[in-house]
Amino acid sequence: MTGQPGTNRTLIWFIVLVVFVLLLALASILTGGQRISGVAPIGVTAVGLILVFGVYLLTAENDAWAVGTREVVYMAIGAALYGVFNWIFNTIPMPSVSQVALRPSVCIPIFFGYVFGPVVGFFTGAVGNILGDFLTGWGVFPAWDIGNGLMGMVPGLVLLFINKRRSLNFLTILVAVLILLTAGLIFINPEVVGPWTGEIESFQLWAWIFMVGGAVVIASRFVLERFSVDMAAVNLWGTLGIIVGIGFASIADIWINGYSFATAIIGEFAPAAGPNIVNSMILTPILLAAYEAVQARTGR
Amino acid sequence: MLIAWRYRDRDTIIQRLDPRARIIFMLAMLFSVVQFWDLRIMLVFLGIAFLQYGLAKLTWQETRRVWILVSMLILIMTTLTFITGRGGVQYAYHEEHVITQLGPLSLPVVGWTLALTITAEKTIFAVSQLVRMYAITTMAITIPYTVDPSLYGVTFRGLGLPDKFAYAMDLAFRFVPTLGRDFSITLDAQRARGYEVEKLSGGLIAQIRKLAPLLVPVTINAIVGAEDIIDAMDLRAFGVGPRTWVHRLTYQARDKVLIAISAFIFAGSTVLSFLGVGNLWVPRAFLRLAGG
Repeated sequence: MTGQPGTNRTLIWFIVLVVFVLLLALASILTGGQRISGVAPIGVTAVGLILVFGVYLLTAENDAWAVGTREVVYMAIGAALYGVFNWIFNTIPMPSVSQVALRPSVCIPIFFGYVFGPVVGFFTGAVGNILGDFLTGWGVFPAWDIGNGLMGMVPGLVLLFINKRRSLNFLTILVAVLILLTAGLIFINPEVVGPWTGEIESFQLWAWIFMVGGAVVIASRFVLERFSVDMAAVNLWGTLGIIVGIGFASIADIWINGYSFATAIIGEFAPAAGPNIVNSMILTPILLAAYEAVQARTGR
Repeated sequence: MLIAWRYRDRDTIIQRLDPRARIIFMLAMLFSVVQFWDLRIMLVFLGIAFLQYGLAKLTWQETRRVWILVSMLILIMTTLTFITGRGGVQYAYHEEHVITQLGPLSLPVVGWTLALTITAEKTIFAVSQLVRMYAITTMAITIPYTVDPSLYGVTFRGLGLPDKFAYAMDLAFRFVPTLGRDFSITLDAQRARGYEVEKLSGGLIAQIRKLAPLLVPVTINAIVGAEDIIDAMDLRAFGVGPRTWVHRLTYQARDKVLIAISAFIFAGSTVLSFLGVGNLWVPRAFLRLAGG
């Protein structure tokens, strides 16, 4: 992705995607939004890709996006590890606590993204998921492969900041703004169709839940930071990565498989993201501490 | 611990096709099937998927475990959607013919009222969703059993992925047996120290933490070993010029035909969808059942 030809190619793809989305939007307006609805999933995927491209184009000069020999090898090792662990922990009979399955492999894309950058993280998650599915015989599911890739890419964005404390400040502001926006939107329009009953319900309670949840996340940042900036950063960026990655795949299934929003959240997002966050918050810091110890010893 | 690929050389018409053409076909099918809710059209896609599955000569014995797991998942998700509504596809139908109504049932503690209205449209939507998910899954499941893992790098290179990424993909597939062996050695070493992965005790956090003795040594060992690989590749001037590949993929006439069919299916589906063909179809028998 470095150098002029790579950037030009990315720009061309960016323009193609923008034109594609504009054409879809135009067709949607001309047909009253009904007839074009069948290709909506492609449009949604394209908008997602434009957002990722946008982040890349804005920060293209940053070293975090560089891909040299080192990154190529870590991409391969990360993907192979993620694939093998996915297969192993699906094969070995593991105990589980309550509804929380033990999925330790999730720490691999997050760790590789956080340490080696967003490109390595994305590749580790996406190709590792393909590899794991190949080993178990599950098949190829593009939305989930991209979702796993995002899970590794988002923690890698920490390298775009001058230091990790500054990245935490950015995350704190982002969480606060998003929570306030969501809560504000709910307060402005509190009555919507309930996903369970189909009747008009008030969702004001959710606005308060969002605000309390946001306050807990922001407080945990400051608590974890007292122990180590790295621990706070890897946990918060990792959690964001899981929410974005699993969220993308679950929401995509609303169009791909025709799920309701409630099905996507209750059936896919919650059972996948919840255990992944717990597993990642425990194992990724251990892995990071071991890596830093080895790095200090070998000097590389 | 022996890690084995699902792929076997079966000498079938499916395996003789270029993997690039097959990936293009799979994506075209995926993006086509998601444009319809008409059960009759969906059944055509399911038929094509099963035709591919049959031509690949996959046996029930090989794929049984995956089918059972996938079927459980599909049934749960379809039932959940049936209960909770249509979500992102509200346009699928606008009018509903009630067959029967269950409830309302009042939950004692929380005070919620649950009611389920079964309509002709809702039922057919659930069946269509089931068929759509089976069509996509059948198409996807065939890939790991019939595409040679050693061809993945060159396949994605042929589909336009940059050299470095395609090479990393190739390398990842080659690392799998080595890392599987490393994991096996680590597991044996930990078991010799009395570690039993099957009998982890304690609460949730304690159990997850106890997996670290398996995960950390394998990962860190792989990263340390990677430094030697990086040095070796740098010494051979990796990435300086365009790469050549051990395997060379060439499109045959049959591959071009498959790509043309893929393009035709996708373009045709998009045009039909644009013309309003393929919306939810409710059989008359169901409407009669609802008294409509």
